[in-house]
Amino acid sequence: MKVTDREILEIPTGYRAAEAALTLAELDEQTASLMHDLEGITPAELEWQMRPGMNTIGMLLAHMAVVELFWIRTAVARKSVFDISDVLGIGMDDDGMPLPADQPPPAGLAGRPLAYYRDLIERARAYAKQAAAALTEEDLGTSFQRTRRNGKVDELNVRWVLYHMLEHFSGHYGQILLLRHLYRDARKTA
Amino acid sequence: MSAASHRILELSPEYRSEAVARYLWQLDDQTRRLVEETRDATPEALAWQMAPGANTMGMLLAHVAIAEAHMAAVLIARRPDSDVVGVLGITADDDGLPLPPDGRPPAILAGKDIAFFHDLLKRAREHTRRIAIPLTEADLDRRVVRRPPDGTTRHSNVDWAFYHLVEHLAGHRAQILLIQHLHAAHAGA
Repeated sequence: MKVTDREILEIPTGYRAAEAALTLAELDEQTASLMHDLEGITPAELEWQMRPGMNTIGMLLAHMAVVELFWIRTAVARKSVFDISDVLGIGMDDDGMPLPADQPPPAGLAGRPLAYYRDLIERARAYAKQAAAALTEEDLGTSFQRTRRNGKVDELNVRWVLYHMLEHFSGHYGQILLLRHLYRDARKTA
Repeated sequence: MSAASHRILELSPEYRSEAVARYLWQLDDQTRRLVEETRDATPEALAWQMAPGANTMGMLLAHVAIAEAHMAAVLIARRPDSDVVGVLGITADDDGLPLPPDGRPPAILAGKDIAFFHDLLKRAREHTRRIAIPLTEADLDRRVVRRPPDGTTRHSNVDWAFYHLVEHLAGHRAQILLIQHLHAAHAGA
């Protein structure tokens, strides 16, 4: 049977700024595609670590949720907001990243199924949509400074934050696909 | 206080459409970082294959250039076909993707240095920029219907095509970083 793919990016309603609406639509498409690619993944694969110090697929999924929530809050508050546990139920460091060399994955993620990570991403996304809907065109061009935990200061604008939310998600999505390939190779040679 | 980093997304007046200007800024940002991150890659590292069937950094660099040259022509300029050879000097198949399970990297990429791959990226972007500059906001919802050899019918719009270029490049850039990490561990082992 012939399959028709519909790759039409449409601007969702309910947002004050079309650009913010578009970014959230792009993130939704990325998430749908990622979840399709992860169908059937086991907890064993989610916590498989190629070698100590390397990220697992589960760590990356948790990280994607943590980072999305962190950045949308930063965009709205115009400063760094490091507390995310009220929305996700986990803290900024619970993804285990960056993992020190020779370290195993964080114990808090052990045995977690895909549904756990999907829920994290959905919670972050629901918050992001609500926050992004309130952004105006004027907000997007607003520049501000934020201080990192290491004391360095970034100058950024809200438009960059929205872009970063997407490219960050897409980048780790690409790495997850590569890790799945490496996992299959490791199973073949085991 | 430590020096501030500058993360300001600014729209170039070079483009007729602000949305298109934003996509090109995003593509340029991804490429700028990819070029910086791979500046010191040796031909050996670029051709390093973790296992048969796995992509090399060189293959992925060629792939993002080929994909951009092709998609910009077909999905954004809505031409019947692309001219990858005319834009890049290599064919659409020269990236070797997708490799069969036991496949080796394509011979045409053997021994190529990083300047070769960076030049491919530059040529692809110049081609995309030429296509993008005259586009208007209204052009973003123009539809393209493709019927590839796999029997499917694919509908897309120009907005989606630009978004896809950005996320495709971001995904492969992050894979290249991971392969760099694996290669460094392999070389140090």
